[in-house]
Amino acid sequence: MSDVPRIRIADVHKSYGPLEVLRGVSFDVHRGSVVSVIGASGSGKRTLLRCVNYLDPPNSGEIYIEGEPLGSRIDARGGRKPRSLAEINVMRRELGVVFQQFNLWPHMTVLGNVIEAPIRVRKLPRKDAIAYGEDCLRRVRLIDKKDEYPARLSGGQQQRAAIARALAMRPKAMMFDEATSSLDPELTDEVLSVMRELAMDGTTMIVVTHEMSFAREVSDRVIFLHAGIIEEEGAPAQVFDAPKSDRLRQFLSKYRK
Amino acid sequence: MGNWERLVWNQRDVLFAGFAVTIEVCVIAFLSAVIGGLVLCLVRLYVAPLRFVAVVLIEFFRDTPIFVQLMWVAYVWPEVFGFPNDFFTAGWLALALQSSGYLAETFRAGIESLPRGQLEAAFSAGMSPVQTFRRVVIPQVVLSSAPSIVNQFTVIVKSSTLISVITVPDLMSQSQKLVNVWYEPIEILTATAALYILFVFLISLAGKLIADRVRQRFGLAAS
Amino acid sequence: MSDALKQSLDLSMFWEYRAILWQGLIFNVLVFQFAASVALSVGLGAALLRVNRFLPARIVGTLHVELFRNAPDYIMLVWVHFVLPLLIGLVIQRRVEFHPFISAVIALGFVYSGYFAEAFRAGIQTIPQGNLDAGRAFGMSERLILWRITLPQVVRRMLPEALNLFISLFKATTIVSLIAVPDLMYNVSMVIQQEMRPLPLYTGAALTYFLIIFALSSTARAFSERWRQKILA
Repeated sequence: MSDVPRIRIADVHKSYGPLEVLRGVSFDVHRGSVVSVIGASGSGKRTLLRCVNYLDPPNSGEIYIEGEPLGSRIDARGGRKPRSLAEINVMRRELGVVFQQFNLWPHMTVLGNVIEAPIRVRKLPRKDAIAYGEDCLRRVRLIDKKDEYPARLSGGQQQRAAIARALAMRPKAMMFDEATSSLDPELTDEVLSVMRELAMDGTTMIVVTHEMSFAREVSDRVIFLHAGIIEEEGAPAQVFDAPKSDRLRQFLSKYRK
Repeated sequence: MGNWERLVWNQRDVLFAGFAVTIEVCVIAFLSAVIGGLVLCLVRLYVAPLRFVAVVLIEFFRDTPIFVQLMWVAYVWPEVFGFPNDFFTAGWLALALQSSGYLAETFRAGIESLPRGQLEAAFSAGMSPVQTFRRVVIPQVVLSSAPSIVNQFTVIVKSSTLISVITVPDLMSQSQKLVNVWYEPIEILTATAALYILFVFLISLAGKLIADRVRQRFGLAAS
Repeated sequence: MSDALKQSLDLSMFWEYRAILWQGLIFNVLVFQFAASVALSVGLGAALLRVNRFLPARIVGTLHVELFRNAPDYIMLVWVHFVLPLLIGLVIQRRVEFHPFISAVIALGFVYSGYFAEAFRAGIQTIPQGNLDAGRAFGMSERLILWRITLPQVVRRMLPEALNLFISLFKATTIVSLIAVPDLMYNVSMVIQQEMRPLPLYTGAALTYFLIIFALSSTARAFSERWRQKILA
């Protein structure tokens, strides 16, 4: 395992107006590891994900992708300069995002959704994009629906298509923003099993989730966020079975089956 | 530019006289259109034997361009029907006919989009169809189609510029008279255009504010 | 009265002059085509300004829309034909005249750009934010997002309303006769001056336009119904 973490989140603060949502969050995500972020609504976990790929840039702190800061760069003379949107877009290619609302583009077929960014952003030739895109669809077991429009798919199928779309960019890491929260219970399993397989395959993942059993089973590390800071973190067995902080105990008690 | 003062400000009486005629024509046309539209709509929906006639009339008034309709009403109707006898009447009549076609469809859409449950509630309470119509249907249809109705008024105002062609002394006609007298179109026509644009803008704004206020009172969301 | 009625319904006169009148109608179609192109392109530009990040752009866009949306077609026609050339002439110190066809295209094109801009803007604002977030997350530039994600969806949603605007624009082309563009109504008035029989000609013109517009709007309505079902499925 290399020394440089794939993603380093360093002392990130984020405010919306007078409300400070993230109050100094720091952690590393190493290559091939799965980090789950859990917490109550309002803890800031969704905002955290949006800060990582600068959809909402942090007010202070920095995100490093394999050592490269996302918000600024060192120019030829050694000075620090803020990155332009175009440069940030280049770095965003390495972070695959799966949204809670899927956000598939309704006017394109499933395959169209999957190959759009590889062709337009990575400038892949169409044939190559289609070939790899179909591989990704096979991986999420959706290849038979490649020519369907998103509106005709079930929620679980749409989310799997969204996962394939993110995979098709060959990102260095995948981020899951409550990927199963808007799915009916019967449909979450098909998505979780895809996510589980990705984790087994060594994908670097940050997973914001409510699915505690999934987090416990699949993560290498679990982070409990409360009121904008990391309240507790550690190996899943320790966080779930032997929580140290009261708030974590309270939070987990709501999920005891 | 001293020209503004000379050509526009000093002639403001002429322009305002024209503006007054414009407003007169538009208001009469609008009120007639609302009544005509309502009649056409009700006949179309509820008077079965005359349905076809109503539909044809509605389509004809809507689809014929206003300029063509104006010429037709002003020059053909007096010969065939014996009225209108003056161009002022021809003007507001043509405007009213065109808008009544649009309003008839607006009212119909409003009536048909009313949830059936509204009528069922009224009938269950023992209200007669006429009562229901008066107290339940019409207020809600007016409320929901208010933006379209206000919009029709602005359409009438904008179309009214054409009645200058049949020599009605409206604002457009007066400003053209001034241009013919002074041979300096820039200030006069620009001021006239600005007046019309401002007037239409203010009507739309007022309509929107009133509609929002009324909806607020009834607890509906602002549109 | 029945004599006049018979006379106005005696469309043989209208039929007799059909060649000239047909030529006039062609002019209406030509003005429509060019004005529609102007209205679409300028309207799209104005709509994009109105949803831009920068306040000055939004102000310019809003001014454009409110200026042209609220302007009567006829006054704009007269202004473009008689005032604009003079203003340009003042600036370049030369006498400028517009061909009536050009004035008609500019005037109607810009007035309708106001209506199209509003329709486009409404469409753009109904695109779910999530679609755009996904685009940004994949590293797509704002331009790419606009052309590949926003506009294709806007066009699909706004097609019914756009069709109605096109039909309105076609009806509006009837006023170009008033600045001597030789369209259908212009030729009608020429014939009337010659033959001194307005009844059949005005009636014929009204019927002609009614039939054309009725055919167009019925088709548009049927198409829009099926389109809406397809898009919202």
